[in-house]
Amino acid sequence: MILRLPGYLGIGLVYAYRYTFGVLFPGGCKYHPSCSQYAIDALREHGLARGVVLAGWRLLRCNPWSHGGVDYARDQRLFR
Amino acid sequence: MIFIANPLTPLEDILRSVLEWLGPHGAIGLPWAWSIVALTILVRMLLVPLTVKQIHSMQSMQAHMPEMKAIQQRYKHDKVKRNEELMRFYRDNSVNPAAPCLPILFQLPVFFALYFVLRDPDELLSRGDTISWLGFVPDITAHANAHWSGYVLLTIYVLSQLASTYFMSATMDKTQRTLMMVLPVAFVPVLVNFPVGLVLYWVTTNLWTVGQGVVTRSLVPKKPPTPPKRSSRTPPKSDSPAVDGDDGDAPAVAEQPVKPAPPKRVKRKKKSRR
Repeated sequence: MILRLPGYLGIGLVYAYRYTFGVLFPGGCKYHPSCSQYAIDALREHGLARGVVLAGWRLLRCNPWSHGGVDYARDQRLFR
Repeated sequence: MIFIANPLTPLEDILRSVLEWLGPHGAIGLPWAWSIVALTILVRMLLVPLTVKQIHSMQSMQAHMPEMKAIQQRYKHDKVKRNEELMRFYRDNSVNPAAPCLPILFQLPVFFALYFVLRDPDELLSRGDTISWLGFVPDITAHANAHWSGYVLLTIYVLSQLASTYFMSATMDKTQRTLMMVLPVAFVPVLVNFPVGLVLYWVTTNLWTVGQGVVTRSLVPKKPPTPPKRSSRTPPKSDSPAVDGDDGDAPAVAEQPVKPAPPKRVKRKKKSRR
């Protein structure tokens, strides 16, 4: 439980982003689930360090040249 | 906030020096308020090439409308499944009307740079600098609730925010959209404590988004110029006029991956007939 705390902190930050900047700078997401939801899932399943890496990598993929698609955090291939 | 701001610091420094370059002591020599507007427009102009791709995607999407409608119809009551199938469909057809998340990140450093500059104006501003704007805002570093002009700008801000959310959230579902429309209004009590210059930045960037949205819409045709590919996959049906009638035609979507030459032939036939 204690070990999971940093991950929860990260999740809190994502929610804070969602309801502040997420609203002030509206936009969609090319993927399902959205980048912020992916970040929450990744943090929950892989903890803070790996979650942040996964979410960062997802954000980089969510660029104008990618085609988007279905991409769940549980299907990641970075950490096996 | 420090967590989020830190990796963006180099960008922030660049923006700060651009602001100085635009400002009254720099090469361009604009008053501070106008240099904020100019900086915002410059950043948004740099981001335009990224939206061009999205416009193309929206244009080519018109041809896929019937299939998308069918998917939405089929998973009407299952939000997750519907989104999954839609995203899969976008991917298979290399179209995606949704805006990517990454470009939004580039707007955050502008916000932070302006926030820190306006919070400690002494660092940049020197005595005698013009800090008023258009004659009705006396001080862009003061809180928005310090003068009636702040409330005028906040009103414009809320309106422009609603308009830009309207354009940006086209791909969201209804509940999410409503939430995105209500929250900016709820933010006003917080925003009154922000420097007027920052509100000015928001108004500028929102108006840019709205302008971009209007231009995008005018570039995307309301009706597809050619009959959708789908109608040609079942030869007997292709004789019927373009889109109408077969909206809920589910099997056609299931056959999606098979896309051989026939569509082109049928299209040509149709064109010559007209």
